[in-house]
Amino acid sequence: MKLLARYNRVNILTTVVVLLFSSVFYYIMIRSVLVDQLDKDIEIEEQEIKDYIKANNTLPKASHYENQEIGFKLTSDSPIQRRFKSKDIFFNNSSEYRSVRKLVFPVTVAGHTYAAYVLKSQEQTEDLISMILLITFSVVMLLLLILFLANRFLLNKLWQPFYFTLQHLKQFNLSNKGMVKLQDTSINEFIELNQSVKIMSDRVKQDYESLKNFTENASHEMQTPLAIINSRLDVLIQDDKISEHQMQQLQGIYDALDRLSKLNQSLLLLTKIENNQFTQIEQIPLHNLIPEKFRQFEELIAEKQLAVTIDMQPVTIQCNKQLVDVLFSNLLNNAIRYNYPNGFIRLYLTNNSLQIVNSSLLPGLDEQKIFQRFYRHTDTKAEGNGLGLSIIKQICDAFGYKVNYGFKEDTHSFKILFA
Amino acid sequence: MKILIIEDEKALSEDIVAYLKGEEYICETAADYNTAIEKTELYDYDCILLDLTLPGGSGLNVLKELKANKKLDGVLIISAKNSLDDKIAGLKMGADDYLAKPFHLSELSARIAAIIRRRIFGGTNVIAFNDIIIDTQARVVSVNKLQLDLTRKEYELLLYFFSNKGRVISKNAIAEHLWGDEMNGNIDFIYTHIKNLRKKLQEAGEPDYIKSIYGIGYKFNY
Repeated sequence: MKLLARYNRVNILTTVVVLLFSSVFYYIMIRSVLVDQLDKDIEIEEQEIKDYIKANNTLPKASHYENQEIGFKLTSDSPIQRRFKSKDIFFNNSSEYRSVRKLVFPVTVAGHTYAAYVLKSQEQTEDLISMILLITFSVVMLLLLILFLANRFLLNKLWQPFYFTLQHLKQFNLSNKGMVKLQDTSINEFIELNQSVKIMSDRVKQDYESLKNFTENASHEMQTPLAIINSRLDVLIQDDKISEHQMQQLQGIYDALDRLSKLNQSLLLLTKIENNQFTQIEQIPLHNLIPEKFRQFEELIAEKQLAVTIDMQPVTIQCNKQLVDVLFSNLLNNAIRYNYPNGFIRLYLTNNSLQIVNSSLLPGLDEQKIFQRFYRHTDTKAEGNGLGLSIIKQICDAFGYKVNYGFKEDTHSFKILFA
Repeated sequence: MKILIIEDEKALSEDIVAYLKGEEYICETAADYNTAIEKTELYDYDCILLDLTLPGGSGLNVLKELKANKKLDGVLIISAKNSLDDKIAGLKMGADDYLAKPFHLSELSARIAAIIRRRIFGGTNVIAFNDIIIDTQARVVSVNKLQLDLTRKEYELLLYFFSNKGRVISKNAIAEHLWGDEMNGNIDFIYTHIKNLRKKLQEAGEPDYIKSIYGIGYKFNY
């Protein structure tokens, strides 16, 4: 829910409730004041009647006007209580009900008790009340509308620096060295927000820089000792005096060194892709690259006597050459390494996807874990370094490609969907 | 042939010198930027091995100086950084080749040989050993004027042996040379290619030059 909507909802709800209660109260108040006023008028009439009786010792004449009526009724026994009441009376001349205010009070003339009554029309009072209420209601409605519009406009304007910052935070990307753009504002909260964003982005950038430097330095620091071990071994094996047994041990060192070097290279590559350091994009005709890759691996394919089927259309993608190279090498390397003798590799290339299918005795891999670093199926010998698939995934992510893994009866497949 | 090794890691430059001695190379070393500048100004070398990170300055500046002085020395950059930017910068500035650390000395030797071949022997590009002649331009091998029918890998293998005559080349170095970094896992299959090359040379009437050394590698005897 948007802040504005939330605010408006609360605001309008409370306003309406408050106005409803206050208008009921208002109505009751106005009404009681006006009725009170009417009663006072009636009481004046009462006093006049009483004064008349006192002076003349006879009843005044009953009168019947449009807005006022005075009458007397002889009562015999029951004592009459003086009381006011409002009621609707049917008028014959206009043939409609009208609300009236009536005072009944006892008067005694010459030993006879009469019930005197004064009746005044309440019509005007009612009219006045409804007029007042109508005006009040209209004003309130107008106020509500203005409030709503003003809130909407004002809030939108007030929150503008926030939305601006948000927008630019979303676009914040470390690798293209973009600064977070911030708008000048006079609102303290937003000044604070912008300051925090700036401090945070600066720190992130700093951390990123130091991480990159660390990666480069680590690689440098590791490659040099690796180079020395390698060169020492290369010199050592020139020695005629080394026995066969010792040579076999040296071979073990060579193999371990190889793995370590490749592991280092793979980790470096992953970090570089993560840091978007492969920015050079070019047109790559896959239909040319794929046969080239298969040629590169032809000896390995021949070694296992794998049957290769390639089914492709001319497809050109926008990508980084080096990464596409690595991508295909990794895919093909896996398809060959985990294959069995006389197995098959099939490659399908269409306009929007690339699929490589290979036979293998390995059971299906765990789809959840398959692209995790150092995930290796327990049945695979420690041949790969467990980073090949992570690299494939990372490259696909970098270019917005999707990569899916499938397994069916000794057949593994990887499908890459170009965006 | 004179080679200058500009490398601050003493162990590494010692090993390079020890390995290259097998060829008719005269090796000199420079362990820092100033020595490197001094030596390159005073003498001419057939090939310079250039590390990029040196005490006292960047190897790229040594290269810049060389080119500014219109020196024709071949330059092979050996760098631990293995960054594409460095590689492109180095090659743009006129280096002949780029080799990332760690590397096999046999690979280094082959690269040096290729640079010298391009620099010194100009257009001919023909290497001969006894009756075997390799034309590196046409990429063909002939024995007694008869062309051998070699596969691409067998050709590269023979050329690799030629650049490392008399020295043991490890199987790992051969696999990496022929299939690159992307090759992973078991490398015993290179035996097939060695066997085929050996057979083809013997069929052409050559003695068996290639000797297997205790399963660790091979040596081209002469």
